[in-house]
Amino acid sequence: MSLTSIGARIRSQLYSWFRAIFRRDELEERMESELECHREILTRDLIRSGFSPDAAARRARIALGPMLKHKEEMRASLGLHWWDEVVADLRYGMRILFKSPGFTSLAVLSLALAIGANTTIFSIAKRLLLDRLDVPHPEELRLFHWAADKHVAVSNMWGISDDTSTGMGGTSFSYPVFEQLRRDNRVLQDLFAFKAVGTMNATVEGTAQIVQGELVSGNYFEQLQVRPQLGRSISPTDDVWGAGPVAMLSTSFWQRAYGSSASVIGRTIKVNMVPVTIIGVTPRGFTGAKNVQAAPDLFFPFSAQPLVEPRGKGGSLIGEASPEMWWLNIMGRTSPGVSDEQAQAALNVSLDAAVQASLRPNSSDTMPRLWLGDGSRGLFLTRQFFGKPITVLMAVVGLVLLLACANIASLLLARSAARQREVSVRLALGAGRSRVLRQVLTESMLLSAIGGVAGLSFAFLGRNALPSLLSNPWEQAQFDAGFDWRIFAFTALVTLATGLLFGIAPAWVATRTEVSSGLKETAQTSTRRRKGLGGKAIVAFQLMLSTVLVTGAFLFMQTLYNLAHVDPGFRSDHLLLFAIRQPDSRYPPGADLALHRRIEERLRTVPGVDAVTLSEVALISDSMENTNFLPEGQKLDSNKEQSAPNNAVGAGFFKTMGIPIIAGREFDARDTATSPKVAVISQALARKAFPGMNPVGRHFLAHWHPREGKQGDLVEVVGVCADTRYWTLKQDLVAIFFEPYVQASNLDYGATYEIRTRQNAASLAPALRKAVQSIDPDLPLMDVRTQREQIDATMQQERIFAALTAGFGVLALALACVGVYGVMAYSVARRTNEIGIRLALGALPQRVLAMVLGEASWLGLFGIGSGLAIALVLTRLVRSLLYGLQPQDLSSLAGAAMLLAFVSLAASWIPARRAAGVQPMEALRHE
Amino acid sequence: MAKEKQEKQIDLLQGTLDLLILKAVSLGPLHGYGVLLRIQQLSGEELVIQQGSLYPALYRLEHQGAIASEWGESENNRKAKYYKLTRAGRERLAGETQKWNRMASVIGSILRATPEGA
Repeated sequence: MSLTSIGARIRSQLYSWFRAIFRRDELEERMESELECHREILTRDLIRSGFSPDAAARRARIALGPMLKHKEEMRASLGLHWWDEVVADLRYGMRILFKSPGFTSLAVLSLALAIGANTTIFSIAKRLLLDRLDVPHPEELRLFHWAADKHVAVSNMWGISDDTSTGMGGTSFSYPVFEQLRRDNRVLQDLFAFKAVGTMNATVEGTAQIVQGELVSGNYFEQLQVRPQLGRSISPTDDVWGAGPVAMLSTSFWQRAYGSSASVIGRTIKVNMVPVTIIGVTPRGFTGAKNVQAAPDLFFPFSAQPLVEPRGKGGSLIGEASPEMWWLNIMGRTSPGVSDEQAQAALNVSLDAAVQASLRPNSSDTMPRLWLGDGSRGLFLTRQFFGKPITVLMAVVGLVLLLACANIASLLLARSAARQREVSVRLALGAGRSRVLRQVLTESMLLSAIGGVAGLSFAFLGRNALPSLLSNPWEQAQFDAGFDWRIFAFTALVTLATGLLFGIAPAWVATRTEVSSGLKETAQTSTRRRKGLGGKAIVAFQLMLSTVLVTGAFLFMQTLYNLAHVDPGFRSDHLLLFAIRQPDSRYPPGADLALHRRIEERLRTVPGVDAVTLSEVALISDSMENTNFLPEGQKLDSNKEQSAPNNAVGAGFFKTMGIPIIAGREFDARDTATSPKVAVISQALARKAFPGMNPVGRHFLAHWHPREGKQGDLVEVVGVCADTRYWTLKQDLVAIFFEPYVQASNLDYGATYEIRTRQNAASLAPALRKAVQSIDPDLPLMDVRTQREQIDATMQQERIFAALTAGFGVLALALACVGVYGVMAYSVARRTNEIGIRLALGALPQRVLAMVLGEASWLGLFGIGSGLAIALVLTRLVRSLLYGLQPQDLSSLAGAAMLLAFVSLAASWIPARRAAGVQPMEALRHE
Repeated sequence: MAKEKQEKQIDLLQGTLDLLILKAVSLGPLHGYGVLLRIQQLSGEELVIQQGSLYPALYRLEHQGAIASEWGESENNRKAKYYKLTRAGRERLAGETQKWNRMASVIGSILRATPEGA
């Protein structure tokens, strides 16, 4: 047969099949009438050939044969046989599933949760830990790092340090170093640099906004091989001294602020009061070189830095202006044929020369050593910050998936054991073994399919709910969790496979047992006992997993509780916070302090405000200031750590924040810019720097920078305050010193205001905003929140963990309960006969009760015991995520064990009661 | 009186029944009973086919696209399905006939072989 004829035949078969399915009734009718017609004509012919009408009719019927069989064969010819069987199986499966709604819904729920949770968490993990920058060939990118010991020549860094246990390191380099590396570079493709500068004040079409900005070198877009979707990219001609400030928009900012209008090219946007021309829009999906998750709103060339983000001497960090400040990130693409080691070696030589020239280190300083890291994920800060928690979450949902599979398995095993008789009946009636197996397969797949669909909807919900979990009330979390179909498919496949395996395997065994023994209700065959063990093993496994999950839940819930009840050292209630970041061009150092003084005074007059103060850094906000510190009587020693955390605060800070002053006084009107420098130190610092003496009246040296030529200030201690937490709740006994902000050199990053008030934020904020804007209408109130919300925000991770593990813990308990109940009920039902005999022979019902409970106890002992052992091992791995308790915390372990023991005993109580209540005569008659 | 000379088993005729039906229908559109009669007629009343087993074969051939059906009126004024040959069916008939003849001649020549020697 030729190919075309085969094709034609298949086409015809498909068409015929579809027509048969969709016009089924018509088909049946016509088959019936066709056969009827045939019979009539045959009868007529027989009459013509001489038979009597009755005899003819009879002969015709006999000749035609069994109509049902013919119709069945006709249907088979059309390929309907298979379809009919599948439909029948599905209908039967649905009926069976709905007959036991409790078990079905539990199985579907656990499946759905497992699939949904796994898909969501694994999608997030992939987004945070696996996804690469959306540029061509990201694997070619190399990120520059430097590493050194504590005596390195680098002293001023603006950026994030590498996580090292010894020494220092980072990804920030100075501008002169970058230029020299670029000049000398022969081993990588052209080097480019960038720096995400964080929040900036911008005015977009008249509205003041906060935007995220990134400074880039002229060859940045060219080297990343990224083309603009509108306008043109920043090019080397934009990054020269004297070039007018230009900017590119990211796609999300373009949509948000300009509604994707094409007329945006050539318009100006005011950043830090400076008009900047918009020249282009970056393509969709491009998030810059720093990270994969979120795109900055605006890209500027380095030449614009002194205008839009002034820092350093005279506001400039580029050129030769501030050689001591290490701040920008450098990347380069690899060249073919050059290995990373070769490149590192060559570039290290250049780095040495650059450091010598720009920093002029003295003999005791060590040189930083250059190494190249993978740049395909930018700075990959997500691994530094989220790597551990995400991994732990993945392990947790993995356990939940295992638990759900075990649940399905035990449910299906129990069901198939109960239907042994049904299988035997089917076999006796003539069903083939494959037919019976096919029916069981359909049922299992139906269950898995329902669970899978429910899991899909859970995954969608999770994907939408998670960004809201991660965002603070005052910040928008720009986190697109994404939905990875591959992960969903994998998880669904795993659960489907479990369903199939545990549906088929017992059915296979059931079809092998002899039909005769299967039909008898109390048949004792040698395989019976072993079957009971299979179900028990699965439930023991479930108990083990549940113990681990519940222990974890207890640990994380306790951590959250501990954190929430930490005394921060100040009164955190009724405190409203907001930040004011003044533009540097309008408020240079000196003028900024005056501005904040005016704002402070003005805010005090707002009705509803009980007290006003401000601080350079807000408390419990994951950020801190740190500077050099040397108590009097101690010598300068470059080998020692001579620094301390500090904070510049307003007068009345301690009273407003509710921090008790132990000795001396706090800041007041006496302390001005011209009066002698004073400070209030914490008890911890007093103990550390002035042990055994009264620190009030003593002096210390602070803020010296030999390389910047700053001599430092001699500061007098005028008071000692009680210990308070600084940047995080987890760190106590912080040796911190406070200074009046009016005596600081500047507040160039702005300040956070703390308002003590009894009103709530919504009612007071407008009045505060008006007060500030009466001084300067271009100053927005940033991040309005209460101190309590600020503290809660730092506990977000702990909160998420506690919530998720608690939820999964409850699910695990429910599944364990159902599992134990199922297996014990089956065991009792199986042994009804035996129990009846025992009771008839004189056993007390309590004895029977004890026997059943004893069986359940062994099960619990095995499961919970092994679970505790595994929990002891696993919890050690999450030590860094806990607070206020050890991983081997006895209360959590004991609590989990007791809870699960209680649940499993309670679950086996009902079957045990049923066993004890068996009537001997009934049981013996139960054949 | 129906003559029953040779009744072959249906299983053996599986492939050939299809061929016979195609041939019968090729001579003009027929309904099921008519196909039966014609085959018997063409065989010179030598071959009798079991009545009911015809229809599965007819449905199979229609499913495969070798014959097409049309509703018309039968002799006793009932609606009956008339089958006719399609183009694909005509090709198939020609091909199968050729195969049958070749098979028959090959087997025939094997059966005609005489033992060698005396």
